[in-house]
Amino acid sequence: MSEFFHWLQSMALATFLRESGLTYPIIMSTHLAGIGLFGGLILMTDLRLLGLVLRSSTITEVVTQFRVWKRLGIVVVAGCGVLLAWSKAEQYSTNPYFLTKMVLLVLVIVHAQVFRKSVYANTEELDRAPEVPSHAKWAAVLSLLLWVGLVSAGRLIGYYEPPRT
Amino acid sequence: MLAYDPSTNPLNNNEWAFPLMEIIHITGFAFSIGTIAILDLRLLGLALPKQSPSQLLKDTAPWTLIGIAVMLMSGPIIFSSDPFMYLVNQSFQFKMGALLAAIIFNYTIHRKVAMSDAAAPGATSGLTKLVAVTSLLLWTSVVFAGLFIAFV
Repeated sequence: MSEFFHWLQSMALATFLRESGLTYPIIMSTHLAGIGLFGGLILMTDLRLLGLVLRSSTITEVVTQFRVWKRLGIVVVAGCGVLLAWSKAEQYSTNPYFLTKMVLLVLVIVHAQVFRKSVYANTEELDRAPEVPSHAKWAAVLSLLLWVGLVSAGRLIGYYEPPRT
Repeated sequence: MLAYDPSTNPLNNNEWAFPLMEIIHITGFAFSIGTIAILDLRLLGLALPKQSPSQLLKDTAPWTLIGIAVMLMSGPIIFSSDPFMYLVNQSFQFKMGALLAAIIFNYTIHRKVAMSDAAAPGATSGLTKLVAVTSLLLWTSVVFAGLFIAFV
């Protein structure tokens, strides 16, 4: 298995990224700035579902108008993330925090699918309700927890020291 | 003579303390920069067109402030782990300049522009767009400079 990851990270682009002085931190900064800019959109959507912000806009407006920006954000953040992981594939493949992050990422996708019908594709109904229904609030709380977990696991990747053999 | 010895700092004596501070710092800037970016998207006419910028500012301002407060508390704690390194780090020096500029810009020109066009929702002038782009660039440069501290 480790041979596979070694092969993966020996590809020209990955080697270039790992060994170039400036490109690697630039991609990392873009990853981080993306989290700042686009993480805010997720945060505000969740807080809107909880009824805490943007109350003069409907949930429908917030969800539909942020959608394209969130997608762009995912492309930028995940795109940079793939490059970062690819260039250090061998190290990352045994890093427990990286693996935790990948599990959380899968859970984010599961979350989106689970709540799609009842929340994210059902905003007009949510807007008609006098109070945001509790399942939508749960969707928001879970989303916040997942994303904070994702950011935390991401930051911890850099602190893991593999056991010396 | 009193001398500060970073090795006595709890941040350097618990392996979880430093990364935890960084996570709080990152979450803080997702709140602050994220909310500012949403307002910038509105000023550029790219999101929430029905919402007036002044209303959006009023809605997001408390969260922006919470984010900035969290950033400004966790940041100096991180700084305290190795102040002599940070002080001479060029990326850190640049970051402090950019951060000061970004905060001042946010609470003066940026705020004024967002408040001013309450009368004309949907209308964005070239000047408004320039202010939004400047805001995005300032905050992005703060993040970049922050990360580059570890690479210069």
